[in-house]
Amino acid sequence: MVETVVKWFAAIVICLVLQTTLVPLMSIFGIQPDLIIIVLALLCLEYGMTAGIYTGFFLGLLLDTYSPSLLGQNALAKTLLGFFFGIFNERVMRTDPLIKIVILVVGFLVHDLLFFGTQLFKYGDSFSHLFYEILTRTLPRAVYSVIIALLIAFWNTSIKPNLKR
Amino acid sequence: MYWIIQFIIRHRNFSSLLVTVIASLLMLNADLARQQAVARVLTISVFYPFQFTVSQAARVRRLFSENKKLREEITALSVKCAQLEEAAAENKRLCGMLGFEENFSHTLLSARVVVREPSHLCRSIVINCGKKHGAALYMPVIHKDGVVGKIIQTLSAISLVQLIRDPTERISVMIKKNREVGILETPDSRNFFIQCRKYAEVSVGDTIVTSGLGGIYPRGLMVGTVVEIRESSDPLFKDLFIFTSVDFFHIDEVFVMKLAPQWASFRSELDSLGYK
Repeated sequence: MVETVVKWFAAIVICLVLQTTLVPLMSIFGIQPDLIIIVLALLCLEYGMTAGIYTGFFLGLLLDTYSPSLLGQNALAKTLLGFFFGIFNERVMRTDPLIKIVILVVGFLVHDLLFFGTQLFKYGDSFSHLFYEILTRTLPRAVYSVIIALLIAFWNTSIKPNLKR
Repeated sequence: MYWIIQFIIRHRNFSSLLVTVIASLLMLNADLARQQAVARVLTISVFYPFQFTVSQAARVRRLFSENKKLREEITALSVKCAQLEEAAAENKRLCGMLGFEENFSHTLLSARVVVREPSHLCRSIVINCGKKHGAALYMPVIHKDGVVGKIIQTLSAISLVQLIRDPTERISVMIKKNREVGILETPDSRNFFIQCRKYAEVSVGDTIVTSGLGGIYPRGLMVGTVVEIRESSDPLFKDLFIFTSVDFFHIDEVFVMKLAPQWASFRSELDSLGYK
């Protein structure tokens, strides 16, 4: 139990560090993969809703504190994202890799809808701006993140077991 | 109370969601000052350990780069220090020579050693003072410490100097304190000795100077000091071993004395007599 918590805590910290240091260097036309959402999805698929909700909440809170945005904006978005990913917990249902990709992409949409929706609600932004953001930023970010997630999955399923052996 | 806990445990997913969503919404709806206060508390309590670790890592990295930079600076300063020491030594040497030149009555041509015989024998040197500077054959070459040798060949800009350590060179010298005259010789360019009368008063440490009798070197130039006195094979004499005052392996600047040999004025008469 402790080992699992430490493992995931380390994974989250590494993702946070990479997200703020290495990922900006991988930016293509301003689009960056979101490692934090990927790690949240992996955690929720493996450990379920409760773990996802709390991890999402505290991760979001950390990001809110770290970045000069509305306090609670990331927390709310990531909490609900954790809940969403937790629905597809592998202990409850088996999902194909393709379904997982779809879940991840939909997860990005959910996250950004909540994120920008909060902004819209708080500051009275326009809906057109919300959809524009989702079309021009969220979807490319989701695709880019899916590619990275596939690389991570490939590492996990093909390379890591061979290294262990 | 019990049923509330039971409800929370049974519906922990939804209760967790409820709690976190309410907390998020409360934070969102809080005024800016409260948000900043919460953020400050979170920053201090959550981020501080990470920031501390990261700052320590950055500090270590900075120390490495600082260490590298300091090493480079030390190297540069060492080189500069060595150059300054060299300049100081040269300055001291030249000041000494300047004082020597001022105290000397003869006209002196300053010269620098440009070629030195690359062996332990070191019997001759080449100086950058030639005919165009006024140097001529048989002119004595001296150093601030004493006699160096004489010019045996001159070209336009350089001259070849035969050192007194050359075994073929012999110069007339005397013990300064009692004017006892002898011939300075060296069989191997290392040991210098004079043969003088057996009953001459001489002791270790006595100064040996040129006698002025050889026709080339003027009287009174420093040659060296007596370091050992031995019985000679000839019962009428004794051998005085001399330590030369000039360090021939470390001379850089020398002076050529513009002095014609004493026989120059009656050279024609000598030639007519058949002297070479």
